Amino acid sequence: MSQTIQFNLNGKAVFLKTDPMRRLLDVLRDDFSETGVKEGCGEGECGACSVFLNGKLVNSCLVAVGSITGMNVETIVHFQHTQAYRIIEQAFSDAGSVQCGFCTPGMVLAAYALLKENPDPDETDIREAISGNLCRCTGYNMIVDGIKLAAKKGDGKW
Amino acid sequence: MKNSISTPVDRLDGPEKASGRAIYTDDIRPDGLLYARTLRADRPRARILHIRLPDIPVGYFIVDKNDVPGHNRIKMLEDDWPFFAEEVINHVGEPILLVVGPDREKVNVILHGIKVEYEDLPAVLSIKDAIAAKNPIFGDDNCFASYQFQKGDPDPVFTDAKTIIKGEFKTGYHEQAYMEPQGVIGNYVNGKLTVTGSMQCPYYVKNAMVQLTGFPENQVQIIQATTGGAFGGKEEYPSLLAGHVAIAAIKTGKPVKLVLERGEDLAVTTKRHPSISRYRSAVDENGRVIAMEADITLDGGAYAGLSAVVLQRALFAAIGVYDIPNVTVRGRVLSTNQVPSGAFRGFGAPQAFFAVEMHMEQIASELGMNPLTFKEIHLVKQGDTTATGGLLRDEIKIREMLSRVLKMSDYRKKEGIFASGNGRFRSGIGLGLYLHGCGFTGKGEDTIHGTATIRKLTEDRAEILVSNVEMGQGAQTTLRKIVATTLGLPIQNIDYPNPDTDRVPDSGPTVASRTVIIVGHLLESAAKELKARWNENETFSVSKSYRHPSYIKWNQDTLQGDAYPAYSWGVVAVEVQVDTLTYETTIKKVWTVHDVGVAIDEDIIRGQVEGGILQGLGYASIEVMDTANGAYRQHNFTDYIIPTAVDAPVIESELVDNPYEYGPFGAKCAGELPIAGAAPAYAAAVSRALGIPVHEIPVKPEALIKGLKE
Amino acid sequence: MVKSYHPETLEEALKILVETHCIPYAGGTDLMVRYRQGPGLVPNFDRPVMFIGHFPELTAISEKNGEFSIGACVPYRDIIRHPHTPEILRQACSLIGAPAIQNLGTMGGNICNASPAGDTLPPLSVLDATLTLRSVSGERKVSFLSFFTGPGKSILRDDELLTCIHFRLPHFTVEGYRKVGTRKANALSKIAFAGFMLKEKDMLSDVRIALGAVAPTIVRSRELENRLIGQPVAELAELMPDLLKSYGKLIQPITDQRSDANYRKTVSLRLIKNFVLKEES
Repeated sequence: MSQTIQFNLNGKAVFLKTDPMRRLLDVLRDDFSETGVKEGCGEGECGACSVFLNGKLVNSCLVAVGSITGMNVETIVHFQHTQAYRIIEQAFSDAGSVQCGFCTPGMVLAAYALLKENPDPDETDIREAISGNLCRCTGYNMIVDGIKLAAKKGDGKW
Repeated sequence: MKNSISTPVDRLDGPEKASGRAIYTDDIRPDGLLYARTLRADRPRARILHIRLPDIPVGYFIVDKNDVPGHNRIKMLEDDWPFFAEEVINHVGEPILLVVGPDREKVNVILHGIKVEYEDLPAVLSIKDAIAAKNPIFGDDNCFASYQFQKGDPDPVFTDAKTIIKGEFKTGYHEQAYMEPQGVIGNYVNGKLTVTGSMQCPYYVKNAMVQLTGFPENQVQIIQATTGGAFGGKEEYPSLLAGHVAIAAIKTGKPVKLVLERGEDLAVTTKRHPSISRYRSAVDENGRVIAMEADITLDGGAYAGLSAVVLQRALFAAIGVYDIPNVTVRGRVLSTNQVPSGAFRGFGAPQAFFAVEMHMEQIASELGMNPLTFKEIHLVKQGDTTATGGLLRDEIKIREMLSRVLKMSDYRKKEGIFASGNGRFRSGIGLGLYLHGCGFTGKGEDTIHGTATIRKLTEDRAEILVSNVEMGQGAQTTLRKIVATTLGLPIQNIDYPNPDTDRVPDSGPTVASRTVIIVGHLLESAAKELKARWNENETFSVSKSYRHPSYIKWNQDTLQGDAYPAYSWGVVAVEVQVDTLTYETTIKKVWTVHDVGVAIDEDIIRGQVEGGILQGLGYASIEVMDTANGAYRQHNFTDYIIPTAVDAPVIESELVDNPYEYGPFGAKCAGELPIAGAAPAYAAAVSRALGIPVHEIPVKPEALIKGLKE
Repeated sequence: MVKSYHPETLEEALKILVETHCIPYAGGTDLMVRYRQGPGLVPNFDRPVMFIGHFPELTAISEKNGEFSIGACVPYRDIIRHPHTPEILRQACSLIGAPAIQNLGTMGGNICNASPAGDTLPPLSVLDATLTLRSVSGERKVSFLSFFTGPGKSILRDDELLTCIHFRLPHFTVEGYRKVGTRKANALSKIAFAGFMLKEKDMLSDVRIALGAVAPTIVRSRELENRLIGQPVAELAELMPDLLKSYGKLIQPITDQRSDANYRKTVSLRLIKNFVLKEES
């Protein structure tokens, strides 16, 4: 039962005639070629498919596209053009936070979700903020360092 | 003194990965793409009687064994592993056929409309069943491989020994849990087969495709796509998947993609071999181990795969970092009707290090000695021999590293305080001491003679041509750094595209921690020559092929001599706190020092060290994987638990410089090393916190609480 | 492909519900996993679906004179951040999934799933919560414990929506919440414990204890709690062996891929004993 669903994707209104029960993850990857949104598990465990929905971090594999009528979706494709992204990317670079990279776009968004609400997080805040983003390469500490560095560089201007 | 090459640089693949611009296999969508899904066996061992297909619409295809033009066996040590099941299936999840077509929903409907009739056969579902060999799967004894070797003359020592201490140690399955599930895309255009995918070993895949199709080598091309983690899990398994899309592409004439979903990946891909190790040691009146016997059994699963070599590495690590004069080592890897076990970071060594480290703890404890002191007096030194009688030629800094870890962790003081702990929360600290043989085991490097090439592109630009891949471990950065530094060019001026077998020579697989020490060294020599001849021509290439240094003596038949050209070393201390209310354990902190020769990049090495240690800690603690009737009971990342950032401890990590003559800038191996010691250090810490022996990992609260009387 | 509804108002939603017996979809964090089929495939819902996450009546959270009221579709995140959320409920919500799940998932969903391992169930149970169930024919209020009839089963009719969860902010001197999970964050529960005690002078004036994930539904027994109520604190230890024996009969855990029955039972009893005697969680 295709329906026309309207939402805002990266600042632009989109109208999509599709099955409302499709996963936002599939819509982003298949209909909008947003391949920066990754599927790691499909069950909300790994965070590779993270996007912002009305400014809040969510797992796009757990969102039926029919449930987001009128909402704003922002993905890494758009976020990478912001000043906030550039600060986080540089901090991740300086701290050696990136290895295989499959978790990284989600990790970057989770870091931003934290910093925007809590610009001066402590170690526990950071670990909890990324606890839904699994990484198998780094052991996390170099990511935690990257977020600490971003907090310092960003200096509250999120 | 720190080598200048060790100073970290920004990873060159960082920005494209962080921004999501990097293209992984599932992100590639060629025109006319067809999707494949796999029909899999739902039982451990059975004869296929009949396959009933639903109506297949136009444009949809069934691909199976009958479509194979060449040999339906993955090219590996034994040719026993079929791409598509033939008459008999041997494990849950064994691929029978593919459904291929343009619409994933329709493919799914067809897949679920297929009915397979089986005649069940008696399945071999445990090491015990395999030993009984009532209905063997492989040969007449279910044994894929067995080896035995000796050092000194252990038998009379055991006969005369006053004290003999025995122990049995077990390790479970361990899942690589790379974040990017496995995936490949096959294409067949004008008689040429191309497979692109997430993989560690493009030439393994190529050789497998040549055998599968019977095509000449120049009609098979393999391209690595950006790979989202591998850890050994993408060493041999991608050959199987590549074979599936290859046959599908040849049959359909269209590009075909096969990407596993996470549950499927967990259910059917190779894991670390479960092990049972029996140890026996003879101890003299001074508390010195004068003979040790190790007997290691691995569960290889349904097909031989790489199991024989995994077993070799386990056996060569069987006496750990200790100088034991008389040694017997034997082992076997058995066949069961379970998913084939395979490569995973450490490749057999973590099982052996868990066993030997816990056995040393056990001996010390039974002798009433301090385990640290006991291990210390047995440490090897330069000039000692390995279990295979190989000579430890190079300087060994493990004593210096151990003292450093003891100081960093305040080990002796904590050990004293923790021993008298008796409240609800009990603390413990444990040590792991380990080494890793660099590069292929035994004759491997000397058999493949890997070749690496550098091409001068312009006056200030060169390209690396090797078959080794970036999979997160940092090859893009380390190999370019080696070449750039040698040529005196900025690192950005060195190209290193993802390997394409049409363009790169076979420098061997990206395994065995060989990329820097072996391939990096070839690149360093090629770069030196290229630099010397730089003005000879506008563009030209220099290639170098590997030869073992002449001092290496190895006999593959007797397993005697230098099993590896060099060794890297590590020491790790793990502090835990156990809540005796629930027997949940918190890892408080980790301290570690490694000798990897010279770090090509300290950040890259730190990433390998910390990632490897956390993987080892997961192996020892929360990562439970077991089977029921041949199927894993853990179906997804909700059941198979890997550590999150909240579970991960802070790791204080240092390096000692110890340059190796035949490594690039003195570098040795680093990738696998750090995983080996974390598990025994964790287990020892828990064991001491509670004052009970721990002989099995993962150390589950369920097991710790079992013996308690309420 | 199933039909899906996106009603404008709650009244419209209730009408659709009575006509179609559709599946109400709030945050989706459980439904999208339960019906998932894999990459590129539409989850295979077996009935029509109705999105209900957007009604103001269901997404409001308020506290007035100690009366707490949480709309069924309030995401965990808003419960965690509300200044007056009882600590045990806040802890339970903070330990569900990770931030991205807490931004979507709702307590209404957690309750209606009626999973024995639902993490908000033990705290809501000891809070003596009341649930408001609405249908086109009206509204009924039911006690929290009477809602659950078995694993995945409740008294919710398929023409009814859970709209609101109410409870009175309790006055207690000791509160305890403990999740024994598969790991330290983003984990499923092997056992979840919640408790309240009111100690006045040297007497135990009230106690409430609930356990999740260790029986087909939540374990809570007023009868056993009554054995402790009115007892001098100094004498609680003597009552323990018999009390634990009785709790042992109610705690009927299973062995699964995450833990085993022996562990769940042993640790459950230890958590009860520790809570009652040690005043700490």
